[in-house]
Formats: sequence, structure tokens, C-alpha cells
Amino acid sequence: MQTSRARLFKEYKEVQREKGADPDIQLVCDDSNIFKWTALIKGPSETPFEGGVFQLAFAIPEQYPLQPPQVRFLTKIFHPNVHFKTGEICLDILKNAWSPAWTLQSVCRAIIALMAHPEPDSPLNCDSGNLLRSGDVRGYQSMASMYTRLAAMPKKG
Amino acid sequence: MSKSQEQQAEADSSPSSSSSSSRSHPCPICLSPTPQLQESYLDRCFHKFCYKCIVQWTKVVASKYSEAPSSLKCPFCKTENFSIIHGYDGSSFERHYVSQIFSDSVFFTEAHRYRLQCYYTEPGFLSDAFDIKRFWKSRKYLQSNPWLYSWLKREIQALMQEEDVDVVAHHMLGTMESSLRRDDQRKLKAPEERQGEFKTLLRDAARPFLTGRTDRFVDETELFLASGLNLEAYDDVCMRRLGLKDAGVDSPEEPTNDSAVVPQSLFVSDEDPDGAE
Repeated sequence: MQTSRARLFKEYKEVQREKGADPDIQLVCDDSNIFKWTALIKGPSETPFEGGVFQLAFAIPEQYPLQPPQVRFLTKIFHPNVHFKTGEICLDILKNAWSPAWTLQSVCRAIIALMAHPEPDSPLNCDSGNLLRSGDVRGYQSMASMYTRLAAMPKKG
Repeated sequence: MSKSQEQQAEADSSPSSSSSSSRSHPCPICLSPTPQLQESYLDRCFHKFCYKCIVQWTKVVASKYSEAPSSLKCPFCKTENFSIIHGYDGSSFERHYVSQIFSDSVFFTEAHRYRLQCYYTEPGFLSDAFDIKRFWKSRKYLQSNPWLYSWLKREIQALMQEEDVDVVAHHMLGTMESSLRRDDQRKLKAPEERQGEFKTLLRDAARPFLTGRTDRFVDETELFLASGLNLEAYDDVCMRRLGLKDAGVDSPEEPTNDSAVVPQSLFVSDEDPDGAE
């Protein structure tokens, strides 16, 4: 408990110090609870998520960093490795490949990388995975960019 | 985040840094500068960690295997390593093999192992051995239990698999003491009510640390209190029930850290005559 808190304070300070160093990621700690964070990440360029801003919710266990944080998308996203309803993310480093050397910031970076490089063979969103597995890249891209426009971009007017 | 928390974080990081090099390369696990005495390195990639941090991580990794693994992937670069170099003083160093770390954790004794085993057995395997109802009815809880702290410490160590649990144990002890010995003016509270109140309080205090094991821990602790026994005597009853020990044959027991050794016979018959119905 004490260790996780101390470590999260370090990360908090680092985030404050490095504010704006990575324009694609904005990490914010909950005002009253250091075990709850949210992040805004920009969809990577040259992907159907370009131009979108996606919100992630972090719930950090007491045993952090010996156990990984729980992360999910709050913004709807059409991606083979993200559950369409719950926002749950299938990413090895958040499960059995976790290492305590990861930080919340670097987890965000890993998620951005996952957005650009989907793994259709371990899908949480089968529709999305099947499009890619059947080779329908155009179909996947148009679905994904439609949802990006619907859910991850500011409404016009 | 509040101001005071920020200041605390500030204070944590500034004074302990031993050298400028450790400041620029904090331990990747706790992100703090490694104190000189804690400095340790993995044998292949030579990445530096606090000894405490890397050992803790090794245990987490090892706990996922049924047999202790012989190598550890560096959390930083994934290189396979076989030992941790520690205590380098310019001429000599200690070397701790990954395969041994899980088994040679000094604090985790046989007693801890058996306690942990209790949490894997059916609840209630002991509940008919001691009279919990009478404990509450006779208000035996008003007398303080001198073994309670040792009990809490050992339980928490076993459950959290961590040696340094004093803060947690004190926290729970405080919660329990204040709940048990709160002098209620409206004495009329029913024993059941007292019991419920106590268990809720302890549960709330324990949950952040013991998570999924909390409810069972509260029950076990209640049982220990109701038994009125010291650690040795309680273990004896418990181990017999578990079949870890034959009735009659007394195997030498692991001495428990700091519990007072009291002749058993004094407590076996510790029944409050007033409590009889």
C-alpha cells in the first residue's frame, strides 16, 4: 500500500514535470484518489483513429507496481483488441507480460502503439478482428474511422 | 491531490538520494533513488534495482510457478538473469540465486505456511472447537488479549507474504482494541450487535491490505480471540484438526517470533463461569 502510493507520487511528479513533453498523451490523477487516473490520448496518424481523442480510465491496484494497472477505454473505439461495450483492452503487458518497470505514461504509449498495430488474432471485438483477418482492410478502416468520427471527435455545431 | 500529499512526496525523494548517479538512474520498480545499502544488480544485464524491490518482484514471478524458477527476466530489458548481486563493498559481494530466493525468505516460517494453508481449507473446520457465542455473551473481549498483536502480525505476514507489516498490524490492532473495549454507556447492546459491529470495523480496516481474504481473516481472528489460547496452544488445536499433527505425538514446533511462552494448561480451562447460561 505504502509502496504503491510512494511510487504513484513519483509518477505524478514526473507527469507534472514533463507536462507537454509528449503531446499525444495527457495523464491526469483524480483529485481525491491517487489510485484513479484518466488519460487522454490522440489517435496515431495514418490510422483510422487519426484526429480522434480517446479517454482511458486507470484503476491501480494496491500491489502496484507488482501488479499491472487496470486500463479501459471510456471512449468508444472500433478495434480488434478493445471490447466494444466495456472498453476492456487485450494487451499482453497489462496481463502476464507486465513488468514493474512500466509506468502509466509508458502504458499509454503502448496503447497508442496497439491502436496503430492491431492484433486480429486475439480479438476482443470479433467483428473488427474478422474484417482484418479476412483481409478487408478497407472495411476495417472505414468502420474504425466512422466510430472515431462519431465518438472521439468534438461534435460540430 | 492535496497540498500536504505533494509535500510528502517531495520530502520522500529529496534527502535519501545517496549520490548523483543513483538520482539519474532511479530503481525502475519504486522509481526512487536506491539507497547505497540496497544497491543490487542482475548478473547478466547489470541493471540496478533496490534489493528489496527486485526480491519482491522475484517472489511475485516465482509465485506464478509451481516450482521456483531458476531465472528471472530483467523487468527493464527482459534479459534472462540467474542471480542478484548485492552488498558490493569494493572487494566482495553477495550473490543470491533466483531459484533460492523464494525458499530462503527468512521470515516466512513453517508457521506462516501452515497459517496460509488454513486459508485454503474449508471455513468452519475449527468453529466447533471454540465457543464464539459465549465469547461475546460473557464479554470476555473486555480483557485484553496479550497475544493478539503476535497473532495479527503472523496472519498478515502469511497473507501478504511480506515481512514488514508492523504498520498494518498496529492499524488493525488499534481498530480492534477501540471497538472491543469501547465503554458503552448504553450497555444494553446485544452480544450479536457487538459482534457485528466489531467484524464490520475490522473488515473495513483489513480490506485494503488483504482484499479477497478479508472476510476469512476476520473470521479466523474472531476464532482466535474466542479460543482464549496463546499462539502455540491455538496452533496445536488447529494443526491437529488439519491433520498436520498427530494427537498425542508432540513434534517440536517452530518458535513464533515474539509471543510469550505460557504454560498451555493455564489456558485450556480458561472458561468464564459467569458466562454459563
